[in-house]
Amino acid sequence: MATLQLKNLTKRFGKKVVAVKGINLEVHDGEYLVLLGPSGCGKTTTLRMIAGLEEATDGEIILDGVDITDLPPRKRDISMVFQSYAVWPHMTVYENIAFALKLKKLSRSEIDRTVREVAGMTKIGDYLDRYPTQLSGGQRQRVAVARAIAVKPKLFLMDEPLSNLDAKLRVATRTELKAIHNKTHATTVFVTHDQSEAMSIADRIVIMKDGEIMQIGTPEEVYNESASIFVADFIGTPPTNFIDVQVVAAGGTLHLVNPHLKLPLSPENAARLKGQEQRNLILGIRPENLTLTGETEANLSAPCLVAEPQGSHQVVSIELDDKLLKIIAPARPAVHSGEMVHLKFKQESLRFFDPQTGQRI
Amino acid sequence: MTKTKKDWKKLGEKAVPYLLLLPVIIYYTAFWLHPVLVSIVGGFTDPAGHFTLQNFAMVIHDKGFVPALKNTSIIVIFSVTLEFIAALFLALLINRKFVGANFFLFLAMIPMALPSAAAGAMWITGLTAHGWVNSLLYYLGFLEKGKSIYWLAGSNTSLLALIIVIDAWQVIPSVMIILLAGLQNISEEMQEAGYVFGGDYFTVLRKITLPLLKPTIQTAVILRLISAIQIWLIVVILLGFSRMPVLVERIVYYHKVVHGLDISYQMATGYTIIVAAIVSLVSLAYLQVSGAFKRDREAEA
Amino acid sequence: MNKKTRRNIHRAAKRTTFYIFVTGVVIAMLLPIYFVVSLSFLSTREAYRYPLPLLPELKIHYKMTHGERGYLLSVYDQIDKEYQTVMDTQDLDKMSVYMKSQLGAPMSVSEIQQQIARLDTEDPIYFTRRKNLLYNYQTFFQVAGTGQAVPALIRSLEICAMTIVISLFIGGMAGYAFARYYFKGRNALKFSVLFVRMFPGVAIAMPMVIILVNMGFYDQPIGLSLVYSVGSIALTIWITASIFMGIPISLEEAAQVFGATKIQTFIRITLPLALPGLAACAMYAFLGAWNETVAAIILTQFNPTFSVVVYQTVLGAVGQVNLAAAGGIVMALPAVLFTFFIRRYIHQMWGGVTV
Repeated sequence: MATLQLKNLTKRFGKKVVAVKGINLEVHDGEYLVLLGPSGCGKTTTLRMIAGLEEATDGEIILDGVDITDLPPRKRDISMVFQSYAVWPHMTVYENIAFALKLKKLSRSEIDRTVREVAGMTKIGDYLDRYPTQLSGGQRQRVAVARAIAVKPKLFLMDEPLSNLDAKLRVATRTELKAIHNKTHATTVFVTHDQSEAMSIADRIVIMKDGEIMQIGTPEEVYNESASIFVADFIGTPPTNFIDVQVVAAGGTLHLVNPHLKLPLSPENAARLKGQEQRNLILGIRPENLTLTGETEANLSAPCLVAEPQGSHQVVSIELDDKLLKIIAPARPAVHSGEMVHLKFKQESLRFFDPQTGQRI
Repeated sequence: MTKTKKDWKKLGEKAVPYLLLLPVIIYYTAFWLHPVLVSIVGGFTDPAGHFTLQNFAMVIHDKGFVPALKNTSIIVIFSVTLEFIAALFLALLINRKFVGANFFLFLAMIPMALPSAAAGAMWITGLTAHGWVNSLLYYLGFLEKGKSIYWLAGSNTSLLALIIVIDAWQVIPSVMIILLAGLQNISEEMQEAGYVFGGDYFTVLRKITLPLLKPTIQTAVILRLISAIQIWLIVVILLGFSRMPVLVERIVYYHKVVHGLDISYQMATGYTIIVAAIVSLVSLAYLQVSGAFKRDREAEA
Repeated sequence: MNKKTRRNIHRAAKRTTFYIFVTGVVIAMLLPIYFVVSLSFLSTREAYRYPLPLLPELKIHYKMTHGERGYLLSVYDQIDKEYQTVMDTQDLDKMSVYMKSQLGAPMSVSEIQQQIARLDTEDPIYFTRRKNLLYNYQTFFQVAGTGQAVPALIRSLEICAMTIVISLFIGGMAGYAFARYYFKGRNALKFSVLFVRMFPGVAIAMPMVIILVNMGFYDQPIGLSLVYSVGSIALTIWITASIFMGIPISLEEAAQVFGATKIQTFIRITLPLALPGLAACAMYAFLGAWNETVAAIILTQFNPTFSVVVYQTVLGAVGQVNLAAAGGIVMALPAVLFTFFIRRYIHQMWGGVTV
């Protein structure tokens, strides 16, 4: 059990490319922290610096109060699950798991006990004598996890461990990983580019872009209180809808106006935008916060472009200034393409962003 | 009616791979199997055409045979070992991104591209008493003016060492490139996992990198074994025939230098069979010992 | 901050050591080659200086004066940094020949006479001539193999061309079969292809003498290319098999869906995609045939290949090191050039070395 601190951690490749731009981060004891971002955002580089596989250009990595920045990986008391699993093909499953324990000079009986314990936890007890080539992708992934748990590290690192599994197995495995974490309570840093994966397993999510941290927060926070257009767009499927609007004062309250829309604001929202009349801003609203309603109550009416039934619900798309606006609506009544849809905006779910900086107002 | 037509078509499609392979099979029968059989038969017949083992007896009693066998063995053992270790060391060192790596690889290919006659020209002009090797040593301050080292007049041991070093110069780069290719086929995460799970550089090398590199090492060593057993040209260019006999040199000697005699053909054939047998046996033995056959069976299973 | 500088120093030191080592390896690899190249440009007089000059002289500085027996000719020596007497003679023909063959800076008799005329007004006289750097190469082609060098070169190129055609055609077909079809005995056949290369070349060359004599191909280029193809077909099969495997079968299927026959598909789709790889195979075949010496010695009599001519020159080279060097360079140049062109595929053959 441990805490991890990153202080001004920086990685430069060559002179020009800065992969990680001085990030600061604290991982709490027993926490399941997910680094999330599109490819090339620096999340894997960050993880590899924590593991010691990549030299930090600048900054410090502190594990349990000890500066480990310049230590080689083997002296860091960490373990890792690799994207390709990196299960050694010339060793049996047993030997793979026992590798680190043997290097730690544990007694034979102790090694055997640990191997069987973690193999049981990851349900690979029957395959201990097999070679990795005789296992399926999912089983190999379990071997990688078992090998990582066996060393009982202070810190657990996972580099997109689920990305090589097929969709169904991926969902099942992430549940199991979470269950294993609930047993071991090991401090974990997990890297992924899949936001739904991040949402489902994280205690806290760190969203990165271009080597910088965009937002840190619980899954609810990053989803409901996204700090920027980038985060609001990156999190959630379908993503947040964005509409360019202008703030206009009329009839004693504020309205958000564009050629298709005239949306009177609730007192709370009006208070938030007070004194910002005539300002252009971007309105963000999640698809489930647009409701289908009757023509009279509607804030916005437009013909349906496509409706995609999903069984439990349907996703209705309308076109607004060449941009698609998506609505998650109940499965019934079914909407047909060409049919007029009337939308109502949930006032408490309106989010306002600055068009220049992209930051939340 | 239509059914038979379909059957014919199916049969034709099944035959396609065999038709594609037919030229190779014919070619190898005519120009490989045939000469190999002629060679084997010739090894066991006397000039009158009767079966005999006399050819081999003659070879074994040839005064060059024992030295040839000894010299060839020494060259094979030392040069393959030396070249392998040096090449592995270089390959491990080069196996990372660095500025100029591609250029380095190209330079490394020059020695291996050099035809043996050209390499011979290079070393014979270098190793004479007034050759460039002594000149270089002079310029570097290792030799006094007017003094020279007589490279080609040394003892048998020093000549063997010289041949081994010269062979190493030409061969190490090619072995290095084979090993480098093998190293780059190993996913980096395999080694990184080794470091994360407590290994230092040598532990990872011994327990992870080398075992994973084993198939490549086998390829490299087997190729080297085959060509090291057949070394001769550089020996003849530097030292002439019969000075330091090696097996293949004996074949060329009897075939080309003292040809026309009755015994020369028998000698040459006898030596040929012996060299062929040694190359095949050594290769098969090495593959067996290193477990290559086992792996192939596994791969097929 | 202190820690950061320490880290940087450590890293820089590591990198410097690494580059010093790599440079050392490069020097060890290239030094012998440098000396042979330099040697091939040396005049005979320079080539027998000891220690050898590091660079060939580009110009020869002559000094002439009256000697005891006639005219005393001296040349400037770049190592000893002084004029050294080379001959004292009245025979200007002899002097002209000496200038050409030993110094590589030829002057005709009439040119020498013009210079001698100057001796009336000044003594000694100095004059400079450009050295003919390619003299050794010209001599090599005139002299080597008793005038056989040029025909041997042409013959070697013929052999290479035929080897390329034979091994690409036969080996390529088999490679395609291995890449695209599963059939009985596939693995056994692939193994036997490897076995062909395990059998030493000499063992085949010896009995081939009789076989080729019977076919009328002994001492003929075609005979040698038949022998060389044995090795290069095996290599071609391995390389082409991996090339054809690398071309997705879906591309061929797509062409067939759009109405092409199997043969059209192969010619229009597969062949163009495989072309670079096939070019590499061709160059391998070239290198194998160009570099080979043993079988060529055994299987030729009056029509040697170029490598045999070089081998003979080198073998009798004790008197003519600079000529041997020139021959070696001529031999090596095509091989090195071709290797340069296929370097990508050398990597690929062993599984894609990309540094």
